[in-house]
Amino acid sequence: MYRRSFKDTRSSLGSPNPNFSKPMVALRFLRALSLVRRSGLGACSPSYRARGIRRAAYACMAASAGPRRAWSRALLRKIRRRPGRGLRRPRAVIWRHRPVGGGDRLEVALRRLVPGGGCMEYCRLLEEAADYVKCLAMQVRLMQTIVDSASHV
Amino acid sequence: MEKERFFGGGWKSAHAGLLPEVRAFALDEHLPHSFVGFGWEQPVHGQEAHAQQLESALSSLVSSPSSNAPDGNDSVVIRELIGRLGSICNSGNVSPSSRCHSAHASYYSTPLSSPPKLNLAGADHQRQRMLVNQVAAAPLTAPFLADQGFAERAARFSCFGAAEAGQLSRVSSRQSLAKEVAASYAMMAGSSSSPEASSASEKLTAVVAEHNARKRKAAPKGKGKAAAPSSSSAMDPPEASPKIESFIDASKLCELIPLPQEENSDSKRCKSAEAGGADKDAPVKPKTEQNSSDDGNAKPPEPPKDYIHVRARRGQATDSHSLAERVRREKISERMKLLQDLVPGCNKVTGKAVMLDEIINYVQSLQRQVEFLSMKLATLDPQLEFDTETLLSKEMHQVHVPLPQQVLFPLDMATSAFSLAQPPLKLAENPLDSMFSSLQLPPIDHVMMMHHFRHKFKSVENNLTDPKLAELVCSLPISGKTTFGMSFRPGSRRARRHHSPPELFEPSEPEAPKKIESCV
Repeated sequence: MYRRSFKDTRSSLGSPNPNFSKPMVALRFLRALSLVRRSGLGACSPSYRARGIRRAAYACMAASAGPRRAWSRALLRKIRRRPGRGLRRPRAVIWRHRPVGGGDRLEVALRRLVPGGGCMEYCRLLEEAADYVKCLAMQVRLMQTIVDSASHV
Repeated sequence: MEKERFFGGGWKSAHAGLLPEVRAFALDEHLPHSFVGFGWEQPVHGQEAHAQQLESALSSLVSSPSSNAPDGNDSVVIRELIGRLGSICNSGNVSPSSRCHSAHASYYSTPLSSPPKLNLAGADHQRQRMLVNQVAAAPLTAPFLADQGFAERAARFSCFGAAEAGQLSRVSSRQSLAKEVAASYAMMAGSSSSPEASSASEKLTAVVAEHNARKRKAAPKGKGKAAAPSSSSAMDPPEASPKIESFIDASKLCELIPLPQEENSDSKRCKSAEAGGADKDAPVKPKTEQNSSDDGNAKPPEPPKDYIHVRARRGQATDSHSLAERVRREKISERMKLLQDLVPGCNKVTGKAVMLDEIINYVQSLQRQVEFLSMKLATLDPQLEFDTETLLSKEMHQVHVPLPQQVLFPLDMATSAFSLAQPPLKLAENPLDSMFSSLQLPPIDHVMMMHHFRHKFKSVENNLTDPKLAELVCSLPISGKTTFGMSFRPGSRRARRHHSPPELFEPSEPEAPKKIESCV
């Protein structure tokens, strides 16, 4: 059921590349939320639902950020890979080059935080981190608004 | 030759104040000095004969072996001299007499034509350096400053020098440059007056010495030294000051001229060092008056490729590695500034480590907030019915045209589970009514939304007949991935993502029927 929500979030309104349009993210997220809600009507436990909502949120964020961002691709891949997907088909995965330089613990921590950050160079990492922070902040604000409006109405 | 004796005396008298490090002046006995003296001895009255004599002297000069040629980059020197010529002429300072104009004009034509004829294939670097130094030592600049007729020639020299260095082989270019410079200097020497010449020569030789003594990669430091002669120029006697100033400008100019060549080699090295990033021009200390003359010269030698064009800043090394590092450092600092703007409360924080720490904390807090809010939404969720329009209108008051249609359909599909029996208009209307009932919109928004929905209903009506329903469903975003697929296609260069595109971007037609069946 959560897969459906992810697909829904992925299916976009002609996904614009820059994530500056908050309405796009909002729309996707709301749609995903409604799907999650309707799928199985709560799935019995709020924590289960919460996890689904969280994944839907990340999927919305990544989808609306656009495919041009390394972090959005990595995030989507991580989300989609979760539901029990083993080595379904042998892919010729070009193993991404891991930049050496793990001496700086701050850099390592940042790499872990930003999705897809294990393989980028430092400059790229900073760039992706900036974009990721921007989208994350927007997503948080959106969810806050939804929660506020939902709790008020 | 008799000329040597003739000229040597004049030369020595003129160059009493030469800097000791200019070893070129140790070669007083050679022709070049006499070259200058020749100009002094014989007043400039513009005859071809002078030019020819100078040419012959020049050729013999070049062919004569040199012993104490100073080390250094002769091409740099040559370029510098040529640049000086160019700037001098462009500066447009006029001290003098119209006769100089005529004299030089006639002189200029010959040396320009002569260099190509002279074949100094055998000349080694030392000779050229010696030649250049000796010629440079000549107090020739002062007359240059005055001469406006020379402007075009000097410009051509500089252009020729820049172009040559970029295109011709180094030896041949140096040779031709040397010839040109020597010839032109010889021409200029004719109109120079000794006191001005001596002071000007000091500056010239100082700069030349600097160039020679320095290594190539330390050329930017010469810019700093160029300032030194300029500062020393302030002490010059007032009558020579305008000429000296323009001369100093020339010396500044000459600093710039080597840069394009260095840039070429450095940028090429940068290209190898760094995997061809975006072009980037770090700013050079601007010398405005040379920009116009320099830009034309600087453009041809630069490779029109995707190199990283970096200019060495004043006082910094121009090593290819350090250049690449500097580019990288600047990129990193630029990104850090971006991050600083994004993360609240980081304006007063300085230093990369603290900034990074703040950024990491912020990202962690944001992720925790997402988790918390999703939990909250999960608990709140079953209690509310999510009216997308309500929430959307609360967030923003703009309703995008494509949105309503696609908002409606998912709700339909979700609730009715793809029941195709109902006419879509009716389906659309039901959620619309429910939505509107719960809406507390200002009238404007309500009207707006109504308009949008009516528009969308019309389009839906047109499309929806039973046989076409499957096709419509195919085009729906829920079932198909058309729009997303088409827009989400990654670039070809991302080879590693080839596995994901196939899953994402299957065409809608084969997929949609499957989806419909799976959903029902």
